[in-house]
Amino acid sequence: MPVIHTEIQEVSHPNRRIVALRVLAGLAGGYAFTWGFVALGVAALFAAGMEFHDAEHLCYIVGLLIFLVAFLWAFAARSLARVWAVLAGGGLLMAGAASLMQSLLLP
Amino acid sequence: MFQNFRLSMAWLHTWFGLALGFVLMVVFFFGALSVFDREIDRWAIPSSRVEPQPMPSFDRVLRPVFEAMQPNRKSVDAMRSEVNGPMPERFDTPRRWGAYTTHRDPVLGLFAGFEVPNAKDPETAIWASRTIDPRTGASLPEDRLKIGSQFFYPLHYSLTFTWKDLGYWIVGLAALVMLAALVSGVVMHRKIFRELFTFRPGKSRQRSLLDLHNLTGVVALPFHFFFAFTGLVIFASIYFPVTHTQLEPLHELHEKLDSEETGLPHERAGIAAPIASVDAMVAEAQRRWAARGMAGEVGFLAVQFPKDANGYVSVYRAGTDRIALTGEGIHFKASTGELLREEPPSSAVDSLNEFLTGLHLQHFRHWLLRWLYVLGGLAGCACIATGFLFFVEKRKKQHARAGSQGSRIVDALGVTTVTGMMIAALGILIANRLLPDVLPAGWPERGDLERYAFWGTWVLAMAHAFWRSAPVAQGQVNPAWHEQCRGIVVLAVTAVLLNWLTTGDHLVKTLAEPYWPVAGVDLFLLASAGIAALAARKIRRKAKETAHARPGKPTEAAHA
Repeated sequence: MPVIHTEIQEVSHPNRRIVALRVLAGLAGGYAFTWGFVALGVAALFAAGMEFHDAEHLCYIVGLLIFLVAFLWAFAARSLARVWAVLAGGGLLMAGAASLMQSLLLP
Repeated sequence: MFQNFRLSMAWLHTWFGLALGFVLMVVFFFGALSVFDREIDRWAIPSSRVEPQPMPSFDRVLRPVFEAMQPNRKSVDAMRSEVNGPMPERFDTPRRWGAYTTHRDPVLGLFAGFEVPNAKDPETAIWASRTIDPRTGASLPEDRLKIGSQFFYPLHYSLTFTWKDLGYWIVGLAALVMLAALVSGVVMHRKIFRELFTFRPGKSRQRSLLDLHNLTGVVALPFHFFFAFTGLVIFASIYFPVTHTQLEPLHELHEKLDSEETGLPHERAGIAAPIASVDAMVAEAQRRWAARGMAGEVGFLAVQFPKDANGYVSVYRAGTDRIALTGEGIHFKASTGELLREEPPSSAVDSLNEFLTGLHLQHFRHWLLRWLYVLGGLAGCACIATGFLFFVEKRKKQHARAGSQGSRIVDALGVTTVTGMMIAALGILIANRLLPDVLPAGWPERGDLERYAFWGTWVLAMAHAFWRSAPVAQGQVNPAWHEQCRGIVVLAVTAVLLNWLTTGDHLVKTLAEPYWPVAGVDLFLLASAGIAALAARKIRRKAKETAHARPGKPTEAAHA
């Protein structure tokens, strides 16, 4: 595959700042998004009547797969701004919703 | 940043693979060794070379030991900063006693947790541990490091960097990168099926390396994915402590409801009470398991709040007959032996979780599968190592022309993590056999010395790898590769000989008995020596060939 080889050579040294932002988006953004997902998932499933630790385990299993997808997407997506908006923004929103739901569930 | 999806995946695969590959190598290698951690323990502690034993009588054997247990000075000193005022001479209020064994353990590990008076956080507990001979109750010397289960195994999941759980986080990141590398690797090479059958050892070095990288990655792809993923699942609550931070109040609410539902006390009553016959409770638990058609060996036995009116005994089954990590726990009131709760069959989610974690932790009895795990782990090592080598081979000529040191450094780190790591593992085994039975006064603890031997040998191997690395910058092979392979041959054979000299257990004897734990470790060491000898010869021959070849001669490998 000689064609691909040369293409990799051309892009293997992209702008450092952009690379750092992609890496950070994949790791920190992916982490925040997963955290939000697990928090909201546990709160919502518990509210829906699932046993607490069952909800926790299920959200971890699905959440870790979501982290993987988010991490890969952070590098594959065309727009870096969109990556940050979805991962960090989505994570924040879900975590906020989880806290809100928790306050409604507590006596 | 990239023109298309495949290029972004190639970038991710190359650079994250390079950065975390060194960690992954350690995780895969020591994970593979941990499959036989108990057997390595037997090799390292000759006094424990007996057949596995079942859980002994609590009333006669375990109880007197638990009552005598106290935390050692090290843990008392470590606890000082968490207490207002001085530490007590003795810890009188046990919070939990536990004994844990598997179908491969001739010795039994016990732990006891105590309340800490005047602790800044009332939840604080101080722990004591002891290893006993379950046949007699006699304690084994505390200074013996179980090299398999207490060193290689923790290396596998935490690198033994305990400071702020840093090691867990590094390994967790490496596991995520492994998953990403598998997905991106598949995206990069679309002809996945063909790669299952492609290995061209006769072609150029670079082409063969790539074939081997793809082959070991693809053949064991489900294994690699599954283990990296379930490893993350097992420690998910460390990586995402959601229910102990943000959702702590919700967790508390659940605990309270749960304790009402299960009838298992959440706290100590503060009223002293005796402990009834725990052996009778174990017999009752085994009767109940038998009624459900399950083998009844006890794997884990615990007493919560011993000698308190709220105390209860939990009996868990050793799940040797199924993959899922289940316990079918049965709980009794400690003072009367009255049944408090029999855990209901697992829910669907629980079953899934137990299956995922159980398949990773393999508490089941299945020797063939155990060996397949070792092979899978070693295939992972081969995949990662060939990844490094391919990285270096692809760039070193170009780097040599440009005067860059990049591939030289990566290659030296590759030597360090591939052959250097094996030399370190042999270093700790040899130190274990060479240290005298009784250490002179004033020496550090025996287990610490063994650990120093491990890290010390590794640092030496790294220094050697960098010292010999200059030829790589000229596009040649680092002689450290074959020199360290020879080192492995010498050290592995030395370890086998030392085992014979210091214990009298040579292979003829251990194979005739047969005593597989020690025979297996010895055979594995000799096999490693054989493979390393072959590798040393082959690498040396190739190195000579490249040295004679004209530098800068274009090869077909440049098109890979």
